[in-house]
Amino acid sequence: MMPIDRLADMEEKLRILEDLNMIYIRQIALSLKDSDIQKKIDYEIRMREGACKLLAACSQRDQALEASKSLLTCNARIMAYMSELQRMKEAQVMQRVARRSSDAGPMDDRSPCKAKVAISDLRIPLMWKDTEYFKNKGELHRCAVFCLLQLGGEIFDTDMVMVDRTLTDICFDNKIVFNEASPGFELRVELYSCCSEEDYSAGNTPRKLASKLSTSLGRSSGKKMRGTLEPGACSPTSNGGGAAILLPVPSVPGPKYHLLAHTTLNLSHVQDSFRTHDLTISGNEECSFWLPLYGGVCCRLAAQPRCMTQQMMSGCLRVKLGGEPQGWTNVYGVLKGTNLFCYHQKEDMEANVEPVLTIGINKETRIRAAEKDPHSKAQNICISNQYGGEEVTHTLAADSREDTQLWMEAFWQQFYDMSQWRQCCDDLMKIELPSPRKPAIVTPKQGALYHEMVIDTSDDIGTVTDILARRIEEFELRAQLGSPPHWMSLFDEDPPRSPHNHQHLPPHSPSPCHRTPGLLSSNASLTSDSDSPVSVSPCFRQAWSPDTSSSSGRFRPRTLSLDAKLSTLRGRGYGGFRCNCQPPTAGSGSPRPTQTALFCSSSTSSSSSSEGSNSQESDLGFSRPSGARRSLRNLRAKLDPRNWLQSQV
Amino acid sequence: MSFIPGHPVTAVVQRIEIHKLRDGDNLILGFSIGGGIDQDPGQNPFSEDKTDKGIYVTRVSKGGPAEVAGLRMGDKIMQVNGWDMTMVTHDQARKKLTKKNEDVVRLLVTRKSLETVVRQSMMQH
Repeated sequence: MMPIDRLADMEEKLRILEDLNMIYIRQIALSLKDSDIQKKIDYEIRMREGACKLLAACSQRDQALEASKSLLTCNARIMAYMSELQRMKEAQVMQRVARRSSDAGPMDDRSPCKAKVAISDLRIPLMWKDTEYFKNKGELHRCAVFCLLQLGGEIFDTDMVMVDRTLTDICFDNKIVFNEASPGFELRVELYSCCSEEDYSAGNTPRKLASKLSTSLGRSSGKKMRGTLEPGACSPTSNGGGAAILLPVPSVPGPKYHLLAHTTLNLSHVQDSFRTHDLTISGNEECSFWLPLYGGVCCRLAAQPRCMTQQMMSGCLRVKLGGEPQGWTNVYGVLKGTNLFCYHQKEDMEANVEPVLTIGINKETRIRAAEKDPHSKAQNICISNQYGGEEVTHTLAADSREDTQLWMEAFWQQFYDMSQWRQCCDDLMKIELPSPRKPAIVTPKQGALYHEMVIDTSDDIGTVTDILARRIEEFELRAQLGSPPHWMSLFDEDPPRSPHNHQHLPPHSPSPCHRTPGLLSSNASLTSDSDSPVSVSPCFRQAWSPDTSSSSGRFRPRTLSLDAKLSTLRGRGYGGFRCNCQPPTAGSGSPRPTQTALFCSSSTSSSSSSEGSNSQESDLGFSRPSGARRSLRNLRAKLDPRNWLQSQV
Repeated sequence: MSFIPGHPVTAVVQRIEIHKLRDGDNLILGFSIGGGIDQDPGQNPFSEDKTDKGIYVTRVSKGGPAEVAGLRMGDKIMQVNGWDMTMVTHDQARKKLTKKNEDVVRLLVTRKSLETVVRQSMMQH
């Protein structure tokens, strides 16, 4: 049989398998009488088909990368739902078996409350070699990266970020909240990366098919299945093949993401502040999707157990206040978090009036049912706390025996929850609700193609200008308050008149540019020289760039946080922002706005990423040089090692 | 100034003695330099050979000590007070010129016109 025929044959068989799988899945779902998961699976399958179609149809790299990311996420979700279905089926079967054998003891186990787990401010530091910074290679190696976060059955993906050697860290701004986590939760963080210059050919088909067929449908959880999908370092797995095990999809040509690093977080990593965790890195330097990761990921992982945020128990109580034996006071008690709040009446709690009494309920508290009070029908509840060496005991009583029982039960449950959730119950951790995001624009229309991919419409050039202007203000404010960083002097548009300050920028002398690998230039005022146009023969290029601050010596420009922010903004598709045409700044001398319309991208090309939309940005930047952007451009030009530095002596 | 890789560089040089001007706490010479082995030589507008990573004078302040001493824009600095300037980083070059305890710097510089002049005068003979 011809190899091509064999290929077609295998594809045919895979399609049949796919249909069979779907029937199987539907059967399981029906038997479990769970239509919820079924709906979710159907939805994800539709999304996946859409993403495949989009991937096949789109021409722009950005679109393809986004579509590929959606595809990967859909696959991951389908896997998760499938494995959950399997788990539920197994549990059902186990239960039936247990009932039959009448072996089951009283199902009395206490289960801990669930919690909201939030992960935010993910930051993955990079570790570029020195040589990478100063190499004047033509191509800027860029990768598209994003993170996939999974907890239980929920999978979320972060936004995609473009990474090249100008970034020191990969930052994801997303805040992701998982709603139903148990104390034994495992939050898997996976970093996927895709080289941005890859040739999108489907030349690998036989290998992909082989990998699809070789993996088997097992009982393993979704995580393990995904693990087996990466058979070795750097072997690319196809997009469709990601879910090959259960639902093989014919491979779609396009950019493919590979797992670059992963880690698993659990309760012990939860803290109310930022922490660094180790990453397990897959792949090596030979892979196209490789990035030099430092080896850790920094993030904020917070958890809010329900016992801390919700009222676990409430009702009428009587509490003994003061020392008198007969001093019972009626209160309305609310057990929430680490306290039992006693309000004068129920309405007070709703009106947020201060409680009459607050009794701490924490790990140190001891609660016991007291001896039966001869006067009352039910037992008293004694709550003892240690307040600075002294033991303070409060005595409470419920109205009836049943109520007492309920309260005791609630207290035991609270203690159990606290013991399970440990550090999360010391204090309530703040979790910000993520702002409503615009849904990703991945709906395929028949025959319609996207010409421009809008990744996030809020990041237009106006907003960018505002961000930078605000940053400048912050810097200036800080400069007024404390000692300014030494590079702040670069932002001075009008430096003091003394000509011999080493930190000044040399004067700007414009002249027409004759060679395109241009030279970044900036304008500043300095002494009397600034106005004199240098009469040079036309064959010279004027290469003015600001000199280094003499006191600073050599320092890595990348550590500026502003730099990182600009890179992030640039990574979102505004590659034209950096190193492209710099408009001349209006220094002290005569302003020469339009004449000095020379310079273009720096000599090492392709720092500006993409095609279409970016040229508009650079044009915009060209015609409206605003103060904030100019200064920043000056700074960037100055600190870019690819400039030809000049020093005044 | 011919540069053949592997062979010693020969050049016609001119001695220039610059007396630094004191301005308060600073000593200035009144010119700017560009170049260095850590810089990109392709961006040097003054060099003939675009792989030349030497230190060049990119600007001379009018009336400053350097101009008075005879330094011209486009000159390549070969030595400063005996220190070689053909194989140094940009920062090293700057430091050699701005030593606080030196009032005078003696430079050896070369420029294209020097060679032309010498050749012409040699031809005349």
